[in-house]
Amino acid sequence: MAGITLQQRRRRFGVGALLPAVVIILAILAYPMAASLWLSLHHVELAGGAVAESFIGLANYAALLDDDSFRLAVSNSAYFSVCEVALVVGLGLGVALLLNHPLGRSGFFRVLLIIPWAIAPVANAVLWKWILNSNYGILNAILTELGLIDNYVTWLGTPGRALNMLLLVDVWKSIPFIALLLLAGLQKIPSMLYRAAWLDGANTWQQFRFITLPSLRTTLAIAIILQTLWSFKLFDLVYVLTRGGPADGTVLLNYLAYRETFNFLHIGSGAAVANVVFFISLILAIAYIRMLRPGGRKVPA
Amino acid sequence: MQGKPSKLGRLSIQLGLGIFGFWTLAPIAWLVVSSLMQQQALTATPPDFSPSAFTFQNYVEVMNSAAALGRGLANSLIVAVSTTAVALAVGAPAAYALARFQLPGSGPILLMILATQMFPGIVVAIPMFIVMSHLGLIDSRLGLVIVYLSFNLPIVIWILHGFFLAIPVGLERAAAVDGATTLQIFRLIVLPISWPPIFATAIFAFIESWNEFFFALILTRQNAQTVPLVISQFAGQYQTVFGQMMAAATMAVTPVVVIAIIFRQSIMKGFTEGMIKS
Repeated sequence: MAGITLQQRRRRFGVGALLPAVVIILAILAYPMAASLWLSLHHVELAGGAVAESFIGLANYAALLDDDSFRLAVSNSAYFSVCEVALVVGLGLGVALLLNHPLGRSGFFRVLLIIPWAIAPVANAVLWKWILNSNYGILNAILTELGLIDNYVTWLGTPGRALNMLLLVDVWKSIPFIALLLLAGLQKIPSMLYRAAWLDGANTWQQFRFITLPSLRTTLAIAIILQTLWSFKLFDLVYVLTRGGPADGTVLLNYLAYRETFNFLHIGSGAAVANVVFFISLILAIAYIRMLRPGGRKVPA
Repeated sequence: MQGKPSKLGRLSIQLGLGIFGFWTLAPIAWLVVSSLMQQQALTATPPDFSPSAFTFQNYVEVMNSAAALGRGLANSLIVAVSTTAVALAVGAPAAYALARFQLPGSGPILLMILATQMFPGIVVAIPMFIVMSHLGLIDSRLGLVIVYLSFNLPIVIWILHGFFLAIPVGLERAAAVDGATTLQIFRLIVLPISWPPIFATAIFAFIESWNEFFFALILTRQNAQTVPLVISQFAGQYQTVFGQMMAAATMAVTPVVVIAIIFRQSIMKGFTEGMIKS
């Protein structure tokens, strides 16, 4: 090994080890992203298996602004994401606090948290389609038995109600993971802080307000950003439960891009919607990365 | 949190835990219970829970009527195992290189990897579909494996990168002083002690591939259909045969749920901590 240093040898190995991964990622992620952007600037026609493209600039995007289904999808997505993030992070924090309490530390609850996460989203959707079935669903049966409703409800029958049901199901599926994330954050808070506060006479609320919340700030911000990103990823549930209906009431942006492209074969405008989702995700991903940066985070206490 | 153990406080925490337990468990319990019930019992108002209403018939019927389910299970297994294997074989060395050698551009590469992992599939789906059509890979398991690498490879690199960073560098230094080559160090020292995190990452990648639906929907037709697709079609075709629908869903989720429960500790540690640590 005369001539080159240990450092150089290690670098060569490093480049060799990294190269295949970089090549694959460029081929299956960077290229399709670039191509998607390119497609969105073209009028694309599928004729007999061949693809014919003509450059039309931003016309696909401009057309979206006048498109009622796009506007509806934007407002549906905005409503869905805001409610979902508030519910999942709020309830997830509650669950994390419960499980961090000595009474909640049994392994049983840990098992409970992992199950909804592991269940395939499609199987979950099929299960809830059955639970919400308007004639034989268990939800109607239970609510009737309890006397909470008089007549069976068609849970997926009206646009607003269907969207709220999607919300309920996805909140159910998403809480465990966010709770785990926040629990990991809670366990990093030094117990010294609580002991000191207790000695100073702080009550439970004050401990939560002045120790737990400030120490958890970065983890909470990460949870909010990640859950927002994931809410834009939702597809399986819409596809199985409602296919976007009734009256497009559950068409989210992600689903609209799918429908435009693969059902209506409007490839250019489908790509434009996909890129709107891409830019929203990109902004959120950048925000997430900034939160992870050592400079951007506050060390607990 | 510390405080005087008040009776009311204890009670409200137990109540909270009870509600959380019921809320999480009830839908899953209904999945399993209704998969074991006869159609007439399920469609009675209210449902008939007498012992005679229970049967294994739904499972038998599903196995007999849905040949697609068997093929779907086989496809899912092959695709998930292959994707996981390739992602680890390519991702582990890359993660090590990013963690250990101050390579030019490794910072941006890592951030790019993290960011891409978060985008919805639709962002890459359209060009992916066109390319796969040109290559004749629509409705092939190979096509799915390639596409699944697009989300599994980044997540494998990201999680393992965190683990490799946490390994003390002293051992590797000592081995280098003794004249070991970098490849020997990676193979004989780093890999053996990294077996648990690599295994946890493999489990995670496997579950993600097993459950994937979106790409399977647009890239497969019949031969390469995976379990989630079979389930969604089954639910469309036989949506009034509730017990069978639930039996099919139960069969599809059981392998993954069992794996997740057995390896929950390593999954939770690897994934949740990987997401909040830089």
